[in-house]
Amino acid sequence: MVKVEINGTQHALPGPLPDTSVDTLRERLGLTGTKLVCGAGVCGACTVLLDGQPVVSCLLPTDALDGHTVTTVEGIDPEHPVARAFVAHGALQCGFCTPGFVVEAAAFHDDWRARHGTARPEREEIAAALAGHLCRCGAYVEIFDAVAAACAGEHDNAHAAAPPRVEAAEKVTGRARYTLDVRLPGQLEGVVLRSAHAHARVGDIDTAAAERTPGVRAVVRLLDARDPEVRYVGEPLVAIAAVDRHAAEAGAAAVVVRYEPLPASVSASAALRPDPAPVYTGKRRTPNAAEGVLVPTPWKAPNLRGPVGQFSESAKTARRLLAAAREAGDPLLVEGTFHTAAQVHTAFEPHVAVADWTADGLTVHASTQAVAHVAHELARRYRLRPEAVRVLAEHVGGGFGAKLALSHEIVAAVELSRAAGAPVRVALDRLEELSVAGHRPAAELTVGLLAAADGSLAALSMTAVADSGVAVGSTVASLARLIYPAPAKDLADYDVVTNTPPGTPFRGPGGPLTCFALEQAVDEAALRLDTDPIALRRRWDPDPLRQRLYTWAAELPAWRERGAHTRTGRYRRGVGVAAANWFYWHQTDCEVELAVLPGGRLRVASAVQDMGTGSRTVLARTVAGAFDVPPDAVEVRIGDSALPRGPISGGSRTTATLVPATLRAARRLKAAIAEATRLPGARPDDAGVRHAGGVLAWPDALRAAQETTVTARRPDDDAALGRSARRPFDGAGALGAGMSVFLRATSRLRTGRGYTGSVYLAEVEVDTRLGHVRVPAMYCGIAVGRLAAPELAAAQAHGAVIQGIGYALYEQRELDPHTGRVLTAGLEDYRIPGIADTPRITLHFDEDGFEHVPGGGVGLGEIATMPVAAAIANAVHHATGQRPYRLPIRPDAIVEAVARGDIR
Amino acid sequence: MSEFRAGGTDLSERRRSGISRGPVRDVGARPELRRITATADGGWEIGAATPMAVLAADEAIRSGYPGLALSAGALATPQIRRIGTIGGNLLQHNRCWYYRNPHTPCLKSGGDTCPARAGNHRFHVAFDLGPCVAPHPSTLGAALLAYAAEVVTDRRVLPVAEVFGDGSDGSRDHRLADGELLTAVRLPPAVAGERAAYHRAISRTYAEWPLVEAVARLVVLDGTVAAAGVAVGGVAPIPLRLPAVEAALLGNPPTGALFEAAARRAADGARPLPMTGYKVPLLVGTVLEVLERAGRA
Repeated sequence: MVKVEINGTQHALPGPLPDTSVDTLRERLGLTGTKLVCGAGVCGACTVLLDGQPVVSCLLPTDALDGHTVTTVEGIDPEHPVARAFVAHGALQCGFCTPGFVVEAAAFHDDWRARHGTARPEREEIAAALAGHLCRCGAYVEIFDAVAAACAGEHDNAHAAAPPRVEAAEKVTGRARYTLDVRLPGQLEGVVLRSAHAHARVGDIDTAAAERTPGVRAVVRLLDARDPEVRYVGEPLVAIAAVDRHAAEAGAAAVVVRYEPLPASVSASAALRPDPAPVYTGKRRTPNAAEGVLVPTPWKAPNLRGPVGQFSESAKTARRLLAAAREAGDPLLVEGTFHTAAQVHTAFEPHVAVADWTADGLTVHASTQAVAHVAHELARRYRLRPEAVRVLAEHVGGGFGAKLALSHEIVAAVELSRAAGAPVRVALDRLEELSVAGHRPAAELTVGLLAAADGSLAALSMTAVADSGVAVGSTVASLARLIYPAPAKDLADYDVVTNTPPGTPFRGPGGPLTCFALEQAVDEAALRLDTDPIALRRRWDPDPLRQRLYTWAAELPAWRERGAHTRTGRYRRGVGVAAANWFYWHQTDCEVELAVLPGGRLRVASAVQDMGTGSRTVLARTVAGAFDVPPDAVEVRIGDSALPRGPISGGSRTTATLVPATLRAARRLKAAIAEATRLPGARPDDAGVRHAGGVLAWPDALRAAQETTVTARRPDDDAALGRSARRPFDGAGALGAGMSVFLRATSRLRTGRGYTGSVYLAEVEVDTRLGHVRVPAMYCGIAVGRLAAPELAAAQAHGAVIQGIGYALYEQRELDPHTGRVLTAGLEDYRIPGIADTPRITLHFDEDGFEHVPGGGVGLGEIATMPVAAAIANAVHHATGQRPYRLPIRPDAIVEAVARGDIR
Repeated sequence: MSEFRAGGTDLSERRRSGISRGPVRDVGARPELRRITATADGGWEIGAATPMAVLAADEAIRSGYPGLALSAGALATPQIRRIGTIGGNLLQHNRCWYYRNPHTPCLKSGGDTCPARAGNHRFHVAFDLGPCVAPHPSTLGAALLAYAAEVVTDRRVLPVAEVFGDGSDGSRDHRLADGELLTAVRLPPAVAGERAAYHRAISRTYAEWPLVEAVARLVVLDGTVAAAGVAVGGVAPIPLRLPAVEAALLGNPPTGALFEAAARRAADGARPLPMTGYKVPLLVGTVLEVLERAGRA
C-alpha cells in the first residue's frame, strides 16, 4: 500500500504496483499527461514534482511516493504564467515532451520569482535549469522565450490574442491524447519477439508454450512465410498479446525459434568485400527506404545496387576532365571522400498502434504521418471494404519521416486484435525505436569538382554509396544535378545492402548528405579560386530565389566581418556558408471539407494529421483568414481517415496541398452563403457578401447563414503566373521532364514549378583543447514563398536547424561490428541536441516566388534542415583550417586532428 | 539476494530493461543515512542516502570540499541530482552499451567475455586495467579519491579506493560484499585555502556521460603548491587518482608551464583500446583545464 497525495487528492494505492512512478501514474491512475519516452532519466518528459521538486518519474520508485505529495502536469494550473507563456509563445511542436518542460519550468519560475522578482533570466540560466529535458522537434528557441517572459512577469495576466498554435493549450496541460495514451475497455498489451540473428533461415517457430503462458491471449506470426529468412537483428518474428506487458514479455520468452544461422554482412565494408556474404539470396524483396516508387535498377555486385546514374550529363566528359586535371595536378580540382553517420528519427512518441478488430470493422489508433494512406493499405491487406477501416491519430508525437508506412507495430496490433477478439496496443520501447524503427542512411560520398581558370564550373562528379541496411532507394548524388549546372556531370547513386535494420525517409531524404559533401567541395573551390564562397555560389547557382538569399547573406555583418575571427590559440572561431535546393511538391487526390454550422462557427475537415508541424493550425488560420474571424472560431477535424482524403505529412507537401484546397473550399462556401442570402445582387467578395444594399461582413454573414457544407480538391497552380518560375526538375534536362511524369504516374505526388531554397551561415567556436564545437549563431535564409502561419514556420525552421546541429555534431547510430546490433539503443548513447546547444538563430524568409501557388507558399520542413551540417563543416574549416570529412564532428575528431598536427 | 535501493535512479532503469531483477530493500528514506555531520577529528560524515543536490548545495561541503560540491552539482541532470544519492553514485553500475542492453550479456551480466573489447568501444577505457573495458561511471568516486575519503559500511570502514579496487575484477562495479550496506562517506578535515575545479569533456553542453572527467584540488602556500589532489573518470574501469600529476605539482610555483607539464603526466600508464586513442590527449587537456581553473579559482 502506497499512500500519496497526487494533485491535491489523497490516494491509497494497494499493491502490487508498477515498479516506477511513471507507470503507476499513467497505467494505474490514468494520468497520461506524464509521458514515458526514454525510460532512463535522460529526456525529462516524465518529470513530476515530488514535494515541489522536479524529478524524473521513470526512475522514481513507486514505493518512494509513500507519504509524499506529487504534482503532475494535470496539477499545474492552466493559468500558471508558465503554462500561459508556453501557449502564447508556441513553445512546443509535437507536444510529447511538453508536459515535462512545463512542470520543470513552472518550478523554476516560482523559485526565480521568489528570488529575483520579475528580473528576466538569461538563456544560460534557463538552459542550466532545463538541462534534464530534451525536445526532438527542437522547440528550444520558443521555450527560452516562454520561460524568460513568464519569469519577467509578462504572463501574469491572461492574453486575449490567439495563440500561434491552435492546440497548444491541450498539449501544455497534458490533456492532448496521443495514441500511446489510448486505453480502450479490455485492451491488451502486445510485444514483438525479434530476431536474435543478423542473418538466419528460420525453421520452426514453436509458440505452444507462449500460448499457455498465464495472461497471454494471442500469438501471431509476423515473419513472412514466403520468405522465412531474417536479415537483421531485431527483425520482427512473432507478436504476443497479453493482459499486461509483463505477461506478454513472459509469453515472448517462451517462444522457441529454430534458427539456421547464415553468414551475414553487418557493415558496408563487409558487404562490399569480394565474395561477400549475400544479404539476399534469390529474389531480393528489398524494403523501400525512399518516399517514392523504386525505379528498377540492376545490381552491380551481390550487395550493391546501382548505379542509378540517369542524372548524369556528359558523364564521360566529366570523367575525362577530372582525370586530366588529376594527372596535371590542377590546383582547381577539388576531390574528397566524405562519410555521414546514420541518423535516427527517435520521435518522442514511439511507433505505436491500438487496434480494435470487431464484427463491424477495424479501428486503429496509430501514431502515423499518414492516416488516409494507412487506412487504404490496411483495407487492401486484409481485404476489407474501405469504409470498414478507420485510422485515427488525434495527436502525433513526432514523425520526421519514420511514420509514413503501414509499419510492423500496426500490423502486429491488428493481427493480435483479430486473434484475441479484443483491442490490442503495440508500442515500441525506446530500445526498439532507436534500433529498428528507421534511420537516415550512413553513406560514403566521393566528390570531384573542377573549376575552370575563368572561375566557371567545368565538371562535377559524385558517387554515393548509402547503407540503408536491408532497404534500398537512396538518392544522394542525383540531387547534385539540380543546384549547380555544370556542362559535365558524372553522378552515381548506389545502395549497399547490409544485415542491419532498414532505413526510412528522414526529413529531406538524401539532401543533407548531398549538401555535406557538395557544399564543402564548393567551399574548397572558392578557396582555391581565391573567391568569396558566397560570390562563387552566386556565379554558379542560377536559381533566382537563392540569388536573393545570397545577396542577403553577403550583407550580414557576420559574413562581412568573418576575417576578424581568431584562428589561432585555443578557441578558434569561423563562419561558413552552405546552400540547399529542394522541391515543391503537393498531393493531388486530397480534399478539404468546409462547413458553416448553426450560429456561424466554421468547421474544416481533412484526413491529414498533425505531427507537430502545424497542419491543424494551417487549416484554422487559412479558414479564419478567408472569413476574417479569429482562428478559435474555426473547428478543425483531422487525424481521422473517415474524413475526406488528406495528404500524408511528408515531402513538405502538407501545406502546399491543404492551403490551396482550403482557399478553394472557402470560395465555394462564400458563394453558397451569398446565394442563400437571397439578397438582391448578392455576390461574395473579400469583405463579405456584397449586395444592392451594401456589404454584409463575413462574420455577420456566417452568423446568419444556414448550415452548409462544401468540399474542394486542390486546384492547379496558376499557369500564367507560374511561367516565370523554374520548371519541375529544371536543370535536369529531358530527364527532369521524365521524372516529373514518372512521379505523376506512380504516385499522387505532383512536382510544382519553382525550387525551394535555403542559404545558411553558421558561426562556430572550436575548443582545440577539449574538442568541443559550439555553434553560437546561425543565420538562415529560406525561400518557400508566403508563410501560411508565420510563427509556426519560424518554429519549424528553428527545429530544423536544431536537428541539423544534432546531425552535424552529435548524432551517430553505432552498431556492434560482429552482430550489427544497434548499440545506441537509449537516449544517453544516442545524443540529440539539448536546450543549451541552441544557437542564436536569425531567420530570413524571402516570401516571393510562389505566386502561382494559391496562397503563395509551399512547405519548408525539409529545405530548412538540409544545409545545416554543411554550413557548420565549412565554418569548422574556416576556424581550424581542417576540413571535416566525417559526421558527426565530435570532440574525439577534433582532439585527434590536433594530436596528429592537422590542426595547429 | 536483495539489492539495496536508495534514490533508485540507476536500479529503476536496470529493472525496466530487465538486466536486474529480484527483490529490493529500500534504504533511501532512513533519516540516519541522510545526515551531513561534523566528525570529532574536524572532518565531515555524509550519510550515504544524501541526495547529490543537497551535497552540492551544502555550505560546509562547498567551502571545505569544493571539488566534491562542484562534482555533485555537475553530474547527470537537475532532476536526477534531486533523488540520486552519494552512495548510489558510488555503487551504481557502469553505463556500457553492451551491459545496459538486455540482449548482449557481458562479464557483468552473466556472460564470459567482454563484447565491447572485441566490438565497438568508442566511449570506453583508455587505461586497460582488466577484462571489462567499461569506464567506471562514478563522478563522486573520483572526487572522493581526490579527497582521500573513507567509506563506512554496516561492517567496516575502508578507504574509498578499496571500494573500487584496481580494475582487475571484470565481474563487478564495486567490491562491497553482497548485502553490505554503504552507510556514509567520511571526509578528512578540510584544508584552509583550498581551490578546486571539476570538468567533464562531452560533446554537448550538458547532461552526457563524460568522455573524460577530471577534478583537481590545490592548496597554494607561500607561492608553491602545498597540496594537490587530482582524479579522473571516464577513462578506466575505476575512478583514477593521478599521483604522478600530483607529485609533479607539489612544491612548485603554480604557473601555466607547471600545469602543462603536470597535466602531461596524466597520460602515464594509459593503454588505450583501438577506438579510444583520442581519450589520451583529451585526458591531458581535461586535467590541464581543471588545474588551470583551480589555479585561478
